[in-house]
Amino acid sequence: MTAGAEGLGEEAPALTYASVSGRTRRRLIFDRFIPWLLPLAFVVVLFPLFDMIFWVAQKAVPTFTLATLTETQVGFGGGLYSMILGTLVLIAIGTAIATGIGMAAGFYTAEYAPRPVATFGRLAGNILAGVPAIVLGYFGYYLLVLYTNWGFTTLAGGIVLGIFMTPYVYRTTDLALTSVPPTQREAALAMGARPRQYLLRIAFPIALPTVLTGIFFAMALGLGEAAPIVYTAGWSSTPITGLMQPTSFLTGAIWLFYDLPPSEGTLLTLAFQAAFLLILIVLGLNVIVQLLSDRFRRRLQGLFE
Amino acid sequence: MALLPFLILALITGVLLNASALRNFGWSFWSFSYNFLPQTPDQSSWGIGVFVLGTALTAGLAIVFATLLSLALAVSVVVYLPSGPSRVLNMLTNLLAGIPSVVYGIWGFVILAPYFGITVEPTLRSFLFWLPGFGGPASAIGSWGILLAVFLLTIMIIPLTTALMRSALQSVPRDLVDSAVALGATRWEVARRVRFRVARRGLSSAVLLGLGRALGESVAVAMVIGGVTSLPVSLYSASTSLPSFIFFQLDSAFTYPDLLVLLVEFALVLLIITMVVNIIAQRLTQTELATATTVGTLVGREGELER
Repeated sequence: MTAGAEGLGEEAPALTYASVSGRTRRRLIFDRFIPWLLPLAFVVVLFPLFDMIFWVAQKAVPTFTLATLTETQVGFGGGLYSMILGTLVLIAIGTAIATGIGMAAGFYTAEYAPRPVATFGRLAGNILAGVPAIVLGYFGYYLLVLYTNWGFTTLAGGIVLGIFMTPYVYRTTDLALTSVPPTQREAALAMGARPRQYLLRIAFPIALPTVLTGIFFAMALGLGEAAPIVYTAGWSSTPITGLMQPTSFLTGAIWLFYDLPPSEGTLLTLAFQAAFLLILIVLGLNVIVQLLSDRFRRRLQGLFE
Repeated sequence: MALLPFLILALITGVLLNASALRNFGWSFWSFSYNFLPQTPDQSSWGIGVFVLGTALTAGLAIVFATLLSLALAVSVVVYLPSGPSRVLNMLTNLLAGIPSVVYGIWGFVILAPYFGITVEPTLRSFLFWLPGFGGPASAIGSWGILLAVFLLTIMIIPLTTALMRSALQSVPRDLVDSAVALGATRWEVARRVRFRVARRGLSSAVLLGLGRALGESVAVAMVIGGVTSLPVSLYSASTSLPSFIFFQLDSAFTYPDLLVLLVEFALVLLIITMVVNIIAQRLTQTELATATTVGTLVGREGELER
């Protein structure tokens, strides 16, 4: 390890372990040692990741066929069809609600709200993101299942899922709009654009990829969450027929079948297949988010050049 | 319009408060004795103590381990590793953030639990028996218990805390780092004496947000903690926690009105605790990076999103 420096014309002595002693030497050795020690934490963290994916794949893949996706679970047999369908409907309702509320609120926070109101809205959004999913689920259970007398319905599940996803869409919309370079606004207004024209024609297109990122991120979170919907969407083993009926969903399959005894092993396998499918979907959304954010970055770079 | 999130928050709190007024559990609600007797509900005791203790133990231990590990991860990425490996490692921790909690749960229940019972717990007991909590007997109902829940929670919150700590450490002004280097500080000294100190509010906020996440996790904990409402005697004991208990009791809540209201009270307590934790975390950082960084976690560029 050398830290040679050019002196005034003459070579400064190189700093080596041998050339120093005492405290300085201990400091240098310690500094060499730490980079090998700290990344050990990655082993601790990444080993579970690989172990989890490996085991879930091992339990799910050997019996994973097309029928797993197209058949409905009956007794100990069948596949995940009704759960996939239910998950899709739930996430569609949830995304619609979260996009509507989240984007509207985000727009107003970023562009129209007076500063104290905006600050307060952002704080509330962050707190809402921190509310435990199970609290949302229980709130939905009390209000939408019991109080309204609907019973367990897909609609209730979708609404609660939407509330769960809202803060993420809200905060990304807000962030995306506030991070549009101010020069864009100045240029637009200088050329005579109305505020609304600036917002819709200039700011929104620039912000769109980030907003989409937020929506896809919220979808990934919503897909993997069981707590808000177990209490509201109930469970039904037949494919969904209407919004006011209960439905099955992928995370619910895992929750229902995870602790069955070995004699009912086919259902445990079904739970692992649901887990495998969820991992695949989340990975897919991950890739989409990554591509979108790359595109966003390129577009922003274009703006600044 | 900008107040929509606040209105939703107010609606949730209002509905739960309204529902909790249905039945008064008296002072014994704050005790440690919980014993629900379905046949004679009048003689049941409704203490919240066991649940709070279980929640505090699992989330508290998890945040301690997660803080140490994610501090190490964040420092290695920000200070030591070149950008290539850093990017790969960031991507992998982000992947960890995306995995649904039920998947953690089924993995913990089916794969990890036997391993914990046969290997991990006896090893810990033989080496750490002198530490309180580590010497006790094994869980009576298999190897599901506090330790397994702590392990799962630790891995689940590490992506969040790591991302937040990373951006806190990266936001330290370049000048300060350069000055320290110019004074002859080694990289570790720069990290410890400059970055840690300047970023201490951001780091504490990261810890609190991770704690909030751990406190509220229901599904994965419900699957591995055992769901036993007696006081835990060691870290190997099966236990319970507020969110996992609410999650467990769906069918019972449908049947017994008393339990329904009790769960409302539990949900309220949980809501208030997590709100307080989140508000403190927000106050610590001037940049509002909570959800921003959660999104950034997946995007892998939280430093940019904040601005």
